[in-house]
Amino acid sequence: MRRTRALDRGRPAGRVALLSIAVLTLSALRGVVPALAQDASVGAQVDRSRIDEGGQVVLTVEVSAGNLGDVAPPDVSGIVDFDIVGGPMTSSRFQWVNGRTSATKSFAYVLRPRKTGTLAIPPLGLLVGGKTYRTGSVDVEVYPAGGAGIGPRGGSPRSGQRRGPGQIGGPGQIGGPGQMGGPGQMGGPGQMGGQQRAQPPPLAAPQVTVVADVDSRTAYIGQQVTLRVVLDTQTEILNLGMKDTPTFPGFWAEEIKLPENLEMRRVQRGTDVYNEYTLMKRALFPTGSGALTIPGMTYQIQVRRRSQDPIESFFFTPTETISRRTEPITIHVQPLPAASRPPDFSGAVGNFSLNVNADRRETRVNDAIGVKVKVTGEGNLSAVSSPPLAELSDFKRYAPKVSSSSTLVGDRLRAEKSWDYVLIPLAPGSQTIPSVNFSFFDPRAGVYRTVSSAAIPIQVARGADGSVGTGGTSVAQSDVRQLRKDIHFIKQAPDGLEDRSRLFYRAPLFSVLLLLPVVGDLGLFVFTRRREARQANARQRRERRARSQARRRLKEARRRMSPSTSRAFYAEVARALTEYVAAKFDTSAAGLTHDRIEELLSSRGASDEVRREFHRCLEACDYARFAPTSSGDEQMRRTLLAAEEILVRLERSLSS
Amino acid sequence: MTLIRCAALAALALLGSAAGARPVAASTSRELFEAGNNAYELGRFDEAATAYEKILGYGVSDPRVLYNLANSYFKQGKLGAAILHYERALRLDPSDRDARDNLEFARGMIRDRVTESEVPYPVKVVQDVLDGLSANLVGAVFLLLYCAAGGLVGVLVLARGHAGRRALGYCAGAAGFLALVAGGALAYKIEQITAARAIVMEEKVDVLSGPAADNTVLFTVHEGTRLEVRNRRDGWYQVSLPNAMSGWVPSGAVEQV
Repeated sequence: MRRTRALDRGRPAGRVALLSIAVLTLSALRGVVPALAQDASVGAQVDRSRIDEGGQVVLTVEVSAGNLGDVAPPDVSGIVDFDIVGGPMTSSRFQWVNGRTSATKSFAYVLRPRKTGTLAIPPLGLLVGGKTYRTGSVDVEVYPAGGAGIGPRGGSPRSGQRRGPGQIGGPGQIGGPGQMGGPGQMGGPGQMGGQQRAQPPPLAAPQVTVVADVDSRTAYIGQQVTLRVVLDTQTEILNLGMKDTPTFPGFWAEEIKLPENLEMRRVQRGTDVYNEYTLMKRALFPTGSGALTIPGMTYQIQVRRRSQDPIESFFFTPTETISRRTEPITIHVQPLPAASRPPDFSGAVGNFSLNVNADRRETRVNDAIGVKVKVTGEGNLSAVSSPPLAELSDFKRYAPKVSSSSTLVGDRLRAEKSWDYVLIPLAPGSQTIPSVNFSFFDPRAGVYRTVSSAAIPIQVARGADGSVGTGGTSVAQSDVRQLRKDIHFIKQAPDGLEDRSRLFYRAPLFSVLLLLPVVGDLGLFVFTRRREARQANARQRRERRARSQARRRLKEARRRMSPSTSRAFYAEVARALTEYVAAKFDTSAAGLTHDRIEELLSSRGASDEVRREFHRCLEACDYARFAPTSSGDEQMRRTLLAAEEILVRLERSLSS
Repeated sequence: MTLIRCAALAALALLGSAAGARPVAASTSRELFEAGNNAYELGRFDEAATAYEKILGYGVSDPRVLYNLANSYFKQGKLGAAILHYERALRLDPSDRDARDNLEFARGMIRDRVTESEVPYPVKVVQDVLDGLSANLVGAVFLLLYCAAGGLVGVLVLARGHAGRRALGYCAGAAGFLALVAGGALAYKIEQITAARAIVMEEKVDVLSGPAADNTVLFTVHEGTRLEVRNRRDGWYQVSLPNAMSGWVPSGAVEQV
């Protein structure tokens, strides 16, 4: 029980011996001597199961066993959905009850979700006494910032508890056997006994109070609130223990170490004098806004019972265990003001200074320089995650080594966080590491402040590998690198805006133009077909009328069949014949030569004989027309008959 | 006489109001656009978005307004609204490379990774070319070729028995073929424009097996994912993903492009 706080180490050795014998006897009788490596139980829990995006959650991994050796922090590499922004913060607790000891060690981490939705913290492995134990997995629901109306305190703690086969004792245990007693009250046994005998034993409850208090009931997110638990007593305290490990849901808690021997202060309340001990001090940093409650803590306090039996009070220490619970404390946490928040603000609350140092000011291309960006000051830096040094185009920058530490100065947490960058200059010349800005919120003044470092000039000479040395012209070329991506900028409209939602293919004109060629072509087609039909009709009509016309002309010729009008007779016969052919072949009679007639007739399959007759008849007519003498009646009659005969035969052969 | 005068006056007034109304809307929308741009440049993205929304309310659907509005939503972290308006801007002006880039950038930030079916390279080239052309341009080209082919066919009909008919026939055939190709392109554009697409506007939407809340949840889609709308039924859309997964979502959870 090395961790039990002894209020007094200078007590009589005799009593210790007696007590030890009693304990050993009891243990032997029960046959339970706690051995090494009892089975351990491990568990993981979060202080809030529902948070807003950008909020934080405290994950506590607790391991309990009868005997804990060195327990390494759990392997948290499996946590992928969260950034670990703080931790591990370790705390231990020992208990001793009925001869059994148990130790509890817890590791707390502050996690910030990387995305929204239901995120799982996977089972974490923990090596205890050579055996690996795994916690259960814990789900955290992350809502988008400002959405769903889930307040920061929404949800209850959630835990993934998994126990080993042998359970350790439940609550109700008290602290180790080391006795506690106020030095001012300590006296030899005899003296004590005498006092008690002299007085009637007061049966009223012992005057012991445990009060928790904070230095401020209002705070900003991330601002330190110091919790102090104070015990006032008028009686001797033998033993002291906490019923449960204190939890601070919604807070990132940092233990403020107290001296190994609790310091006592005497205070006077009215007429009574009390001994006052500070039992616990915690620096609390709210991680969300709203009314956050520090739950009450229960202390089991073993006090000396005043006994009427002097024998008993001499040999044994009559004790009584009383329980005291502190009142819950509500702290009103204000969110950090959204107005005038610097864009590079990353959650630091307190009062900080910034220091940027380069390990040298002159270097060569490809020779690394180290740049240390250090932020120190009063406040909690665990949430500050983004490196303050911007990407530089003429330097290759490696991911920084981040180190952070915190110390308590008085009751205030002082943090230091540094980013060690390695920069490789890519181009020679006068380069500059630009000034670095760091923004934080000063809760005392209630304003954001930005501190800046001076820009650091760096002289970069050409690389050593260039054979021409510093006067050379060769430059180590590198690709132009895209540092970051963003959307393209908005557009301007110098020539005004126009409604472009109207689509051409939906306009009536489009349909009209679509129909026009179809309708036009159809119309043209119909028109040409009808014209052709009309022409064909005219031809047929002429052909049909050819015979009757020829017959009419022959009748006319017959009328002129007299020697005085023989020329007119022959002209009429010749005309009857040629016009018949012209009508039959739909051509003009004027241009019809004998050869052309031959050609036309043979094309329609008229026999050679008919053609010859036709030719002869036509020639006879021509001859008679232009002969100086007139021909006789007989010759005319024969010509007429021949012409009639030819027409009959032609009609027959052309129609077939 | 008085009747005629009254009618003339009324006609004048009507003309005046019609002539006056348009410039007023045009000038206010232009002022709003300037105001929106100024607010955007000062980082007041919500104010900028309000101004752009007002312009759209006047019925002035300029792709630049939609693009700037989408940028404002993106800067406010409203991924679904940003993607919706980039898509709308691209429907009006598919040749806008900025909108295309920003849409791709925004798509890279949504939670769902939906693999679209692989398109062979030549088809992809054709698609890319067509995606860069506006529907109106494709429509005009198609109409030109179509009318040319129609005109040539008309000449062909008239010129029966003409010596140059054969050459004319080839010309008409070529014009007809090109018109067919342009017609195909126009059909593709119309399909792209009229395709019922919707963007998921809520952070997380369960896709159910039927159009009622008590149906089985088939899968979940997240803000910004693009869905094809296949069917509508009072307050519910039947949607599908490119990989053929489909189901029903409440119509309020998505917004049609």
